[in-house]
Amino acid sequence: MQYEILARPATAVAKLTLESNESITCEVGAMIAMSTGISVETTSGMKGASGGFFKGLKRMFSGENFFLNHFTANQPDQTLIIGPTMLGDIVHHDLRGGSLVIQGSSWLASDVGIKIDATWQGFGKAIFSGEGLFWVKATGEGSIFLNSFGAIYEVDVDGEYIVDTGHIVAFEDTLQFKIVKAGASLIGSFLGGEGLVCKFHGTGKLYCQSHNPPNFGKLLGPKLKPR
Amino acid sequence: MDAITRNRPSFANIQIKLQPGDKIIAEADAMASMSANVRMKTRFSGGMIKAIMKRMFGGESLFVNEFSADAPAELVLTQGLPGDIESIDLKGTTLYLQPGAFLACEPGVTLGLGWAGLASFIGGEGLFRLKVKGNGRVWFSAYGGIFSRDITDEYIVDTGHLVAYEPSINIRVGLAGGIFSSFFGGEGLVTKVRGPGKIYMQSRNFSGLTAWMNAHIT
Amino acid sequence: MSGLDFEISQRPDFAIVSVQLQPGQSVFSEPAAMASMTPSLKMKAGLKGGLKKALGRMFAGESMIVNTFTAESQPGEVVFAPGIPGDLMHYRLDNNSIFLQRGAFLAHSEGLEMSAKWGGAKGFFSGHGLVLLKAQGTGDLFFNSFGAILEIDVTDDYVVDTGYIVAFEDTLDYKVVVLPGSRPAKTIKNFLFGGEGLVCKFSGQGKVWIQTRYIHPLLSWVYPFRPVQSKN
Repeated sequence: MQYEILARPATAVAKLTLESNESITCEVGAMIAMSTGISVETTSGMKGASGGFFKGLKRMFSGENFFLNHFTANQPDQTLIIGPTMLGDIVHHDLRGGSLVIQGSSWLASDVGIKIDATWQGFGKAIFSGEGLFWVKATGEGSIFLNSFGAIYEVDVDGEYIVDTGHIVAFEDTLQFKIVKAGASLIGSFLGGEGLVCKFHGTGKLYCQSHNPPNFGKLLGPKLKPR
Repeated sequence: MDAITRNRPSFANIQIKLQPGDKIIAEADAMASMSANVRMKTRFSGGMIKAIMKRMFGGESLFVNEFSADAPAELVLTQGLPGDIESIDLKGTTLYLQPGAFLACEPGVTLGLGWAGLASFIGGEGLFRLKVKGNGRVWFSAYGGIFSRDITDEYIVDTGHLVAYEPSINIRVGLAGGIFSSFFGGEGLVTKVRGPGKIYMQSRNFSGLTAWMNAHIT
Repeated sequence: MSGLDFEISQRPDFAIVSVQLQPGQSVFSEPAAMASMTPSLKMKAGLKGGLKKALGRMFAGESMIVNTFTAESQPGEVVFAPGIPGDLMHYRLDNNSIFLQRGAFLAHSEGLEMSAKWGGAKGFFSGHGLVLLKAQGTGDLFFNSFGAILEIDVTDDYVVDTGYIVAFEDTLDYKVVVLPGSRPAKTIKNFLFGGEGLVCKFSGQGKVWIQTRYIHPLLSWVYPFRPVQSKN
């Protein structure tokens, strides 16, 4: 499968070129445009024999939209353009063994060789539950497309690195992490707006997003009609 | 200071390489990520009373964070809205910013609240503006892309598109129907600017987005 | 007639167009599109149908509300900015027609006629009415989007989700269908906000412009951040 990422970093789409029998899975609603030699199957799980491709799917899509579209080309050289709903970026990650921990709403699409576990609880429930964040773990071999709110920047961590939790897109699970306070004092950290942050250490790739969805929501929401 | 603004104009963010002795001040919650050895100190933005004023009228956070490091370190700063970031080197000079536009500055720059004058008062809008002055770099942010115009005579700007302007610019805010002889369909508040001087605009109007959304919320 | 002197900048996410008008030239825009302008330009608001129509629905056969900017004795600049974040494109019509999604119109030069057209029986653009705009004549047209605009040259058949269509040349045939292989429209309607699983199949030869985002999901995304109505 060939891919090209267009319109980075704010309204990015992934333009995929599929050969006969090549396939990609994404959530319903991600398809923007495509050639006509592609067949589409809508399911709530993995295409193929081993079910459980998406463990914990209901949680992943918070009760809505928990259907997946599997696109398979039945002719050569078919184009498929996919994109997420939020403004933001897309990046491709080639998973070759090991795992990638992905922020729940940052998964856009993946190959048939990838398994997603949406029941992963590595961060624990307490810290992020207020922000509606959850995390999934991807394992297997193949392509994963990640999306973000903001521009995606990669950090090759070798030592220690701190990320505000709302800015994490995905990270390799070779990295260890710890939730810490951002500043010298806990009060100062909260007043300074940063509160608790995530400190990574070890060696591994970290994908960050330049913007933080709740911060945008807090600026936009109050100006809208009450619900 | 080694600072690059990346991903302009849509999701601009500042990547800073701090050296020992460098210090940068940013509004609260501007930090996206940083090396683990960066020190962050939180304080009131210019003293408690001034901070409260800036929060209430200037659209800025009550607190600011001071970042420094004892060894080379990286820091990424950002804003809440999708949009652009521009930076200006102040050399003993002043720049006026619309409320909410201040993002970060070097220590030689002070952030204050200025009285915009009764001429710019329309139902509470535009009474105050932010004033940055001193020596050093200041970064300001916008919703949309930032572009500028060098004004020699007069120019009219839809108020929601004006982000910053030099003190030599004279501004007059009014309803489109008031400033112009003809009623102006769809336009709300407009600002008439008179030069000489430079103005900075943003290519989107935040109330344009909220108006569209409110019209479509059922 | 010579075309407009314009420059599009801040593409593709916050695009604007600045138009330099020579004495005698005019440009027409949708209401509230003016970001800045030289004071010597003369502005006239089109009030046909009342201002509320600008945000409301449009009905077949009714021409649009436009603001007119004219340079009289001096040249002048006007900068147009759409209300939503996204891209902006210029298209030069040469005695042909182009169809636009209703919200995509931004501005046009003299020489063009804009009208509304019914798009067909099935919900074309997420239930917001079946109206497409048609621009025809010879002149300059500016249209905008939510998200970046991608230009596709259709030679055979091409399928586009209806929410993502910005504009297309009138040389193309189109048909609205349910995405083949997916569940029928009535079951996925619930969770595709406005999209209803409908796609548009274009055939023939011509250009279609698509946008890389669809704004309606933003409305449901922002829901938890909206103020709560007090129950008094």
